[in-house]
Amino acid sequence: MSYLFYPGCSLESTGKEYALSTRAVCEALDLEMPELDDWTCCGSTAAHQTDPLLALALPAKNLVAASGSTIAVACAACYSRLKMANHEIARSADSRSRVAQAIGIDYDGSTPVKHLLEILRDDIGLSAIVDRVAKPLSGLRVAAYYGCLLLRPPSVMRFDDAENPTLLERLMAATDAEPLEWPAKTDCCGASYSITKTETALRLSRGILAMARDAGADCIVTACPLCQLNLDMRQRDIEKKEHERFGLPIFYFTQLLGLALGLPSSDLGLRSLIVDPMPLLARKGLISMEKAVTR
Amino acid sequence: MTSATETETRVYALTFDGLLDEQDGARLNGCFQCQKCTSGCPVAADADVKPHEIIRLAQLGARRELLTSRFIWECTSCGTCQARCPQGIDLPAAVDALRRLSREGGFVAEPAVAIFNDAFLNSVRQLGRTHELALMAAFKLRTRRFRQDARKLPMMLRKGKFALLPRIVPGRDERLRLFRHIREQRKEAP
Repeated sequence: MSYLFYPGCSLESTGKEYALSTRAVCEALDLEMPELDDWTCCGSTAAHQTDPLLALALPAKNLVAASGSTIAVACAACYSRLKMANHEIARSADSRSRVAQAIGIDYDGSTPVKHLLEILRDDIGLSAIVDRVAKPLSGLRVAAYYGCLLLRPPSVMRFDDAENPTLLERLMAATDAEPLEWPAKTDCCGASYSITKTETALRLSRGILAMARDAGADCIVTACPLCQLNLDMRQRDIEKKEHERFGLPIFYFTQLLGLALGLPSSDLGLRSLIVDPMPLLARKGLISMEKAVTR
Repeated sequence: MTSATETETRVYALTFDGLLDEQDGARLNGCFQCQKCTSGCPVAADADVKPHEIIRLAQLGARRELLTSRFIWECTSCGTCQARCPQGIDLPAAVDALRRLSREGGFVAEPAVAIFNDAFLNSVRQLGRTHELALMAAFKLRTRRFRQDARKLPMMLRKGKFALLPRIVPGRDERLRLFRHIREQRKEAP
């Protein structure tokens, strides 16, 4: 299968370590994923809250541009918007013709969209990943966090069980990390209001961080740049406000997978994380002590 | 795996009455007030109108109560209500439609969200992608929230999480045309 990588805006800015670690992991696994030329924003939450046609037209422009290939996505929000657009355009002749008028080309909704986690599961295979692990993440207790956009609406996303997804846990288990049972993995972190209604984001994120901590997690692993930023950047705010301590590094799954594949930590953007993961990784013997202290 | 009832995502509820439309609305008429939506909603506890009440008010045609509600700007679009609804009701699509109608009628209870969305989409229109620094500047100028997160800026820059200069994706004229077309379509909507 030929893939074109659609990074999305977050992976160029606040989630650049997600892009970096995605590219490093794909290279290590011989997964070719050239970037879609001149891709544009999927419209994200702002578009669907504002206008339904805009929410279809912005993804459709990119889906048309990738025609003939499968779009590979790492961002959960882009993944959601691209799949929602495909679903609606394929379902409704009316939507299809409105989109055609808006973007100037008829698109039938058929460009396949896959998340990197699905590609790892289906094209590489979790058992092949087990064979490629050079540095097992043994003893790392991980809370796998999915959030909303990979899973819902289930009838469109068809990513995993919407109430109890396990793909991230299975991937983590393949690296020999210890995925935890915990009840908040599909809760909403409130990231869409991180800027506009920060109180809501703090309250919802607090619930997730507290649940991970109470389950005994060393860290949280995510597949969404909005969840990651929110749980990472807002963690100190929550600690100050609630007078409590979490100290939970928030990794992208590509960063932990990259470590397990034996990639150097500098290729994985670990320094871009806000809650410093280096002390934890040094404690678990996953990076050298020197790396943990030198900045 | 999916929920018990297959749901169709209906995004074209263009009018208030359209919310109840069998074909392209959110099919709110199927609601029997089991309140599963409200039970699973992350923001229902503090809501002025709870998710199941949104549906009942729509059935009753209580336009003003809905369009002025705080809830439609507090809903995080997490989709839990829809995923669990035994009747397959697409409440997130209904809330999106209510947001739009609320803006068109000048009823917005929480302007910050709409201001942020506009700044975001303006960045997409001009550049093809978002540019965080410009987006934050536009948002702060319009909301006068200059101090919010100001202390995070040096850290975000140090970690390379904000690009200083925007990159303009080719195809700007085409994008301007697309956004103009969408605006005209909205004006023509019934």
